[in-house]
Amino acid sequence: MHHAHIDKFAYQDSPVHRLDSRVKFIVVLIFTAMVISLPRTSLSILTCYAVGPFTILVLGKIPLRFAFKQILLVSPFVLVLALSCPLYDKTPVTVAFGPFFWQTSLGWMRCFAILGKFAVTMLALIALVSTTRFSDLLAGLQKLGLPKLLVIQLGFLYRYIFVLIDRAHHILRARAGRKLRNLGFKTELKIAASMLGSLLTRSIDTSERINIAMQGRGFDGKWRTLSKLQIRRADLLFALTAASFMLGLYFFVRPVLQ
Amino acid sequence: MPKAIEIENFSYKYPDGTVALSDIALSVEHGQRLALIGPNGAGKSTLLLAMAGFVKGTGKVLINGLQINRKNLKKIRTSLGSCLENPDDQLFMPTLFDDVAFGPLNMGLEPEQVRIRVADALQTVGLAEMADKAPHHLSAGQKRAAAIATILSMAPQIITLDEPDGSLDPKNRNNLIKLLASLHQTLVIATSNMNFAAALADRAVLLDKGRIIADGDAKKIMSDSKLMTEHGLETPNKEMSFLRNLS
Repeated sequence: MHHAHIDKFAYQDSPVHRLDSRVKFIVVLIFTAMVISLPRTSLSILTCYAVGPFTILVLGKIPLRFAFKQILLVSPFVLVLALSCPLYDKTPVTVAFGPFFWQTSLGWMRCFAILGKFAVTMLALIALVSTTRFSDLLAGLQKLGLPKLLVIQLGFLYRYIFVLIDRAHHILRARAGRKLRNLGFKTELKIAASMLGSLLTRSIDTSERINIAMQGRGFDGKWRTLSKLQIRRADLLFALTAASFMLGLYFFVRPVLQ
Repeated sequence: MPKAIEIENFSYKYPDGTVALSDIALSVEHGQRLALIGPNGAGKSTLLLAMAGFVKGTGKVLINGLQINRKNLKKIRTSLGSCLENPDDQLFMPTLFDDVAFGPLNMGLEPEQVRIRVADALQTVGLAEMADKAPHHLSAGQKRAAAIATILSMAPQIITLDEPDGSLDPKNRNNLIKLLASLHQTLVIATSNMNFAAALADRAVLLDKGRIIADGDAKKIMSDSKLMTEHGLETPNKEMSFLRNLS
């Protein structure tokens, strides 16, 4: 079965794709922290911050439609949180945009700030995973000191999530093929529970076989990989540009627009 | 020179008490291509697991003259590579390169040696261009070849394969036959596909209900239609000789 992988553009080639995963990860981490720490009234500065991930997406030849689709996919959770803000904070505030002024509530300001920050940080995250192979990202995280156990877990998660999705699809198809009438909520719940149980049992079987495959190839508890990561001049240039962009926004643009 | 595999009076019961293997005696010479044939549930996979020391029963199992025990296990698993039935179980790393390098790295080889071994193994199975791909981006045939590469990179003397032809289309199956036929290692192939077995094996061991029923020349055993039918199998068709020539 073919899946819509979040990293489906990570196998392309572009100057951004060739950058070291560690540098990209650190830049995205700092960028995210800076965006999150913006005050809720700084919507115009947030727009300036969005230029960064947009540029990376364009340079990395990632379709913007794909990026927005990914944001929409995970937006329901944040939407609920953001839309609840106007309900409990009705403090009136005046908003200015150039020569225009209008009245609104602090709740709405908070709502747009949450949505804006979510969209910008998600864009940065999508820019990272769409221009970095997951294996390189894992190798980078390991080099940056993330515990090996966590790196292994993430690696297995990425490797087997699609196998699990395939199995779930097969089970659902088998159920749909034989479910010829409405069975009622209780029966549906029972069937769903047994389907989940079957998935769990098969996952345990799979993990046992993977353990056999690992031991068969000499695994003794120590995780050994060959790292191909290397910091080059282009990585330093990227880090320098990103730092200038973020510091420029923080020290020069933010005081003007705030 | 010790035999590649030597099994004496080996028996094994599943935890629920069901007999999986009973009084198995088997001796495999180096360079032999042995087909372990039998119906589903005959004990073929369990016997392969016993050869790699994953199943502990009563009796003796010797690989390259070394008895399977905790002390010898590392040496044994370096000389005997096991290829599991489902390639998704065998390919657990984020990229094909990492997967093929996993065994050699655990053997303690130097990074440069590992890179050479990975390149050679991927070249042998025809996946040299796919090293940086994630396993879930490979087709069924490529996954099967990749699973074999993960074993080849460890340069074992013996390779065991569990139903290697499962879920492969005829073209990929023929490619796999060609690949396996080109290997110089001792091969033990568990399969219930007689055409596949006939195309590769020079010796066949028929297993049913955990017991060895017949052991001998592959052609002779697999052409005995009475024996085959009695044990839920079939005789290979004429294509067998064609595939054998092909391999």
